[in-house]
Amino acid sequence: MEKTQISGIQLYLILLGFLFGSSVILTPALGAGRDAWLAMILAGVAGILLMWVYTTIALLNPSKTLVEILRDKLGKVIGTILSVLYIWYFVHLAALVFRNFGEFICTTTLPETPVAVVMGLFALVLLYVVNSGIEVLGRLSELFVLILPTVVLIISIALITEHDFTAFLPVLEDGMAPVIQAAFVNLTFPFGEAVAFLMVFPHLNRMDNLKKVVISSTATSSALAIFVFARDLIALGSDLIARATFIPHLTSLLIPEFNVVPLVDINLLVGGGVKISVCIYAAAKGLSQVTGTHDYRSFSRAVITFCVVLSVWVYENLIEMFAWAEKLWPYYSIPFQFVIPLLLLLLSLRGKNKPSQPNTENTETESCTSDA
Amino acid sequence: MVIVIIVVFLIIIAYDVQGFIRKKERASAVIIYLVLMGISLVVSVLLASGKRPSSPAQWIEAALKMVGVVK
Repeated sequence: MEKTQISGIQLYLILLGFLFGSSVILTPALGAGRDAWLAMILAGVAGILLMWVYTTIALLNPSKTLVEILRDKLGKVIGTILSVLYIWYFVHLAALVFRNFGEFICTTTLPETPVAVVMGLFALVLLYVVNSGIEVLGRLSELFVLILPTVVLIISIALITEHDFTAFLPVLEDGMAPVIQAAFVNLTFPFGEAVAFLMVFPHLNRMDNLKKVVISSTATSSALAIFVFARDLIALGSDLIARATFIPHLTSLLIPEFNVVPLVDINLLVGGGVKISVCIYAAAKGLSQVTGTHDYRSFSRAVITFCVVLSVWVYENLIEMFAWAEKLWPYYSIPFQFVIPLLLLLLSLRGKNKPSQPNTENTETESCTSDA
Repeated sequence: MVIVIIVVFLIIIAYDVQGFIRKKERASAVIIYLVLMGISLVVSVLLASGKRPSSPAQWIEAALKMVGVVK
């Protein structure tokens, strides 16, 4: 493994950018209508539990990536097959975010520019980030991810006069079923997608901080998303929210005499950029480990090119993309986000109980190295 | 447009394969790289010429319908 390390705060910010990235333009729990805030709270709690699963897997297999854990626990053949499926999943996820980004920019800011051009130019920047390594992504996150809550705060303060708190009422008009369904969709997007971080966790300099960092980042992201939804709901009302495509963008248009659309664009550039970078890094790193290549950078150009092509190929239009993301993505994600990680957790716990596993020794050695 | 796409892909492939040879990477790595770039090139050319092939999203949807996960 390459000897690059990121600090706890860098991991916190990368994960925050990853989780909050697409939420800048999309509200995954919107299926619950005005009760989406309830669904988001449920998804946040479930998301923290899911992150506990992912971090426990990482802690039980110190300095191993997802590919190495899969091959170690499930054998070379099954492990390699599942690794390839995960690589596909990361590539598909990156393509989905690319398309979200491209469609948003082409719908709101650059309507005359072809979506492929917007995504291609963005891909060039992200290729540079991915090739620079996970440390550079960490430092970029330190610089830019804090812009996300700042922009949320600016837009919220600017809209302070636009509010109708009755928009929350009536609560649970259609019962709990839509809320639970929406919470599940929100759990798979974005919390479950953080399974890609099993390729990043080994780079944390102090593994004893892992759980604290990941869970606090998930809680922050969840709180931010709930705040943004509540702000949009009281500013726009539930009817308009149900009909809007890019809700936060529509909310930002309510601010009189002040164009804040570029701020929403910046948010997406930062959040989407972090999310795509992590997915491309995870896929390229996975490919390099599957093939036994020395450097993941050998594959980064091919992976990002494939992602851009896939993002144009995979959905014919914006409506198809939204329908797929809402109706099929959650079910398609179940094996990758829940089934296989839970299986790995069980196998790792079983392996921990075997006396021959020197896990604590490894952790101590790594901790000492990082401290030095 | 198709010519431009082919030229751009050939330049990227030539540059990367040179790196693979210089680093003496395994043949499996070169094959996987060429498969990825090959698929990207073919799909790009088809999309540019207006012949959209059925997408992986449709295959996944068909598979999920087949196993009864979605209707």
